[in-house]
Amino acid sequence: MTDQLLPVATGRRAGRVVADELRARPLAASLTALTAVCAAAAGLIAPTVLGRLVDAVDRGEGTIWPFVWALLGAALLSAVLTGLSAVLIARLGETVLARLREKVVDRALHLPSATLDRVRGGDLLSRVGDDVAKVADAVTSALPQVAGAGLTVLLTLVGLGALDWRLALAGMVALPLYVTALRWYLPRSAPRYAAERVAMGERSQALVSSVQGADTVHAYADEARHRAVVDDRSASALGITLGVFRLFTDFGWRMNRAEYLGLAAVLGVGFFLVRSGDVTVGAVTTAALLFHRLFGPLGLLLFTFDDVQSAGASLVRMVGVADLPDAAAAPRVRTAARPAVELRGIGHSYGGPPVLVDVDLALAPGERVALVGASGAGKTTLASVLAGGLDPAAGQVLLDGEPVADLRAQVGLVSQEVHVFAGSLADDVRLARPDATDAEVVAALETVGAGWATAMGLDTVVGDGGRELTAPQAQQLALARLVLADPPVAVLDEATAEAGSAGARDLEDAALAATAGRTTLVVAHRLTQAARADRVVVLAAGRVVEEGTHAELVEAGGRYARLWTAWSARG
Amino acid sequence: MDPHPSTPGALLRRSLRRHPRRLGWATVLLSLHQTCEALVPVAIGVTIDRAVATGSLPALVASLGATALLFVVLSQAYRYGARHVVTGWFTETHQLRVEIAARVLDPHGLRGAPPTGELLSIATNDAEKTGRVIEAASLVVAGTAALTVAAVSLLTISVPLGIGVLLGAPLLVGLLQLLSPWLTRRTAPQQADVARTAGLATDLVRGARVLRGIGAEDAATARYRRTSATALASTLRSAGAIGTYQGTTVLGSGLFLLAVAGVAGALALDGQLSVGQLVTVVGLAQFLAEPVGLLGFAGQKVAEARASAARVVGVLTAEPLPPAGRAPRPGPGALALPAAGFHVEPGSLVGVVAPDPADAEDLVGLLAGRRPVRPGELLLDDEDVAGLDPAAVRARVLVEPHVVVLFEGTLRSAVDPSGDAADDELLAALTAAGAADLADLELPVADRGRSLSGGQRQRVGLARALLRRPAVLVLHDPTTAVDAVTEEEIAAGLTGLRRGRTTVLVTSSPALLGRCDRVVVLRGGVVDATGTHGELAEHPDYAAAVLR
Repeated sequence: MTDQLLPVATGRRAGRVVADELRARPLAASLTALTAVCAAAAGLIAPTVLGRLVDAVDRGEGTIWPFVWALLGAALLSAVLTGLSAVLIARLGETVLARLREKVVDRALHLPSATLDRVRGGDLLSRVGDDVAKVADAVTSALPQVAGAGLTVLLTLVGLGALDWRLALAGMVALPLYVTALRWYLPRSAPRYAAERVAMGERSQALVSSVQGADTVHAYADEARHRAVVDDRSASALGITLGVFRLFTDFGWRMNRAEYLGLAAVLGVGFFLVRSGDVTVGAVTTAALLFHRLFGPLGLLLFTFDDVQSAGASLVRMVGVADLPDAAAAPRVRTAARPAVELRGIGHSYGGPPVLVDVDLALAPGERVALVGASGAGKTTLASVLAGGLDPAAGQVLLDGEPVADLRAQVGLVSQEVHVFAGSLADDVRLARPDATDAEVVAALETVGAGWATAMGLDTVVGDGGRELTAPQAQQLALARLVLADPPVAVLDEATAEAGSAGARDLEDAALAATAGRTTLVVAHRLTQAARADRVVVLAAGRVVEEGTHAELVEAGGRYARLWTAWSARG
Repeated sequence: MDPHPSTPGALLRRSLRRHPRRLGWATVLLSLHQTCEALVPVAIGVTIDRAVATGSLPALVASLGATALLFVVLSQAYRYGARHVVTGWFTETHQLRVEIAARVLDPHGLRGAPPTGELLSIATNDAEKTGRVIEAASLVVAGTAALTVAAVSLLTISVPLGIGVLLGAPLLVGLLQLLSPWLTRRTAPQQADVARTAGLATDLVRGARVLRGIGAEDAATARYRRTSATALASTLRSAGAIGTYQGTTVLGSGLFLLAVAGVAGALALDGQLSVGQLVTVVGLAQFLAEPVGLLGFAGQKVAEARASAARVVGVLTAEPLPPAGRAPRPGPGALALPAAGFHVEPGSLVGVVAPDPADAEDLVGLLAGRRPVRPGELLLDDEDVAGLDPAAVRARVLVEPHVVVLFEGTLRSAVDPSGDAADDELLAALTAAGAADLADLELPVADRGRSLSGGQRQRVGLARALLRRPAVLVLHDPTTAVDAVTEEEIAAGLTGLRRGRTTVLVTSSPALLGRCDRVVVLRGGVVDATGTHGELAEHPDYAAAVLR
């Protein structure tokens, strides 16, 4: 149920996404490409000059100075272009990466509730954490090197061809061997890289879940077991990483064989060409030096192939999330305040027995209806349907008699799940409406009775790494966000439960104030919440079994009346 | 346990010392590999001199054969040397990660622990970058070996050239090393910004459901975009530094090649060197770019490792929350907060009502050891808890927090983390906690108990606390997410199982308070009233707090 993974894009699709990003910046992209080509070409000047020097020595004439000046020029040019191209590649790559990571976070935050429930927590976290870091690392260090090395290899072959086509051909003898080596390596390594990613995701999850539940871990002296889980997952990720690298070194051995054959071919062919007088010793020297110069870039390509492939595995996972359908790009149009709400014939199941069966429920404009029932009666499911977080298998939700395309634009939901966002108090509340003024933020906080927040200071850093808030304080923040978001319809799903009973009443008052003037559905455990609502609906086994005002239901002597007696008779 | 290294340098040195065998083999094999690489230009020079220039076929066969042998040694040395490097590097990374996890999960807690997202980044990225010092170290030695072999080869061809290289190469590397601290300074803020961006992404994704409830996804995305843009700007600034560094490295090796080739070329034009010797010298000078570049690369990685090691050390050396102390003496389980006038008799069931939730949080936080205990503040069986070991105190005083946290596993592991209770004990605890409907002990439980409803989570947490049978059990609002009928069942089951053992219920549920031996009302951190639930219910203030 909760172990599904998010989609992963194909390599082709990831390539297209990157290409599109590059096309969107034509000037930067072409300038970067041009500089990289020039930097690689500048690297060829030195060996060519050295070949000429050999010829001059062979002939025994000339002075050293022209060669010195040429080498000096080559060094300066090469240095400037290499540095420049590194900067340009990083600028382009990092900018594209920033866009991509923003898109990934955007889609991750817009995932439908149903998907959020199904997906493994660690998977989503490692997409926005580990995967982004891996790709960033490749963009910063591997990308400039790979681009430079790849161009050097290409241009060197061109240089060999300029000397003598037969020498170039001899050098190319190595190519099929490289290809064979790659074809041996890729199918073996790809699944292992994928497995490595999964292992890293599990490792992150183990760590995050232990850290966030540290109080509980301490309370049960359970540290050893949690450490063991982290150790275990870290160790299994380590095992996979080392296995992958072993494979990689075997691949390197195959690459070295190709290097030797290429070099031997150049020297051998050069030998016969010199013997037949077709080329000079200097030309063969230049060819051998050029080919030898390729070992570095080829080794680098080989070295970073690993990083690149591993980054590729992360990239397709990022693109997999980035490619999820864009949610609600259209501007949200709010209906008039306080619409009438009608849930008509709602039915739903999570693949097992039905959770809701043919539920009809109408809320008059501005009416406050409490939903009461035992655990598992379907209260939360019905609340999710109204909040637009769940598409029911049957039935529909009408606002003022009309079906609504984007229910979530009209309905605000505060559930028992609390999260205090890391950052300042003002920023936390302002998530609901970024353009709200300080005065509006303060007003929202005061509406829900969170005077402590202004006393503490709106700039106080709260949440992970900041000041810790109590559960009722955290829930008050959630209600203040609702006030600021100002939706015409509100759904409170046991919004006071997490606060604990001591703070529950204050929170009930806060909830009442936050939902004043909105058509409101309250899922209530505390019957006092029900008693203060305009109307009470009792849900049992997915069906509405009683409906009426608190007084009517108590009078009727049914299920609700029994609950109320049990409740009010205590003490 | 050994004290953790207290400086980044010390941490890096320990990383190197921890893997002597791996580091040793890696260094030897990679040096051999680099030596063979240095000999490749020599082999090319010899082949040109003896075979290509003379046209002798046997000489060609002989030199290509020797070169083949050289390649075999070269590639095998790399193959096994690199395996040792990576094994050392990632084993060290794993060990660092385990240490970080151990530190974070230290029974004594951690003062000033970084936010979870940042911690995750430290335990993954920074640990890996710190461990990379092993690779950097072996590359430094291997690069030096290659420089030495090249210098010796040059010395046998021409003494002035050899001396020049021997002096010039270290000078060049030294100058490049001067840039390394500068590079660290320029890249450190970028690394911190990237870590902060990752932290924000994690935080927002964790709150995704809350954001959806109020339609704040767009606002959250906008906030992430801003932070991401800041990180991008700082990354772009450091890209300039990296570009400068790379350009300088290329310039250095280019000028070096110029010097060597210039002198050798002049000598050759003067007739003092043969063509083959010139090729060897030039080939070597050209090859020298590789070890020099390798040393530059290693310098860069050391700089990164140092920046990361500083963050790892920050976690490893963070002070424990309360200092360790001695274990409490065994006793019947009496609790007292003298300053607050709060006493719990051994074996009694005491209810605590706190009209201001902050009072309840304070009391529970103190009992749970979430903050340091001041001397004389809290007594356990008449012993001052301030001098006791917090982990040992927790073994006697169990606090189940209000927000129940369950971990990935099965219902069995959720109720019985230590895994040593029998099935019937488990089922008895579940029944007492009103969770008899959860009878399948092998039911999978998702991380944070997300596969269960709020009410189920709360009841499973209660069953977990009851099963533990601690001398003192503190429960904070254990029944807020269950319905009235179930709450009544829990009240009966709970009091039955805890009979004769000290139990503190911080709650305002009449169902629970009605069964307490005594109820204490806390106001402003001190006891305001005490009595049975029945007696107290006469007071309007109490009734207002409890009966609603």
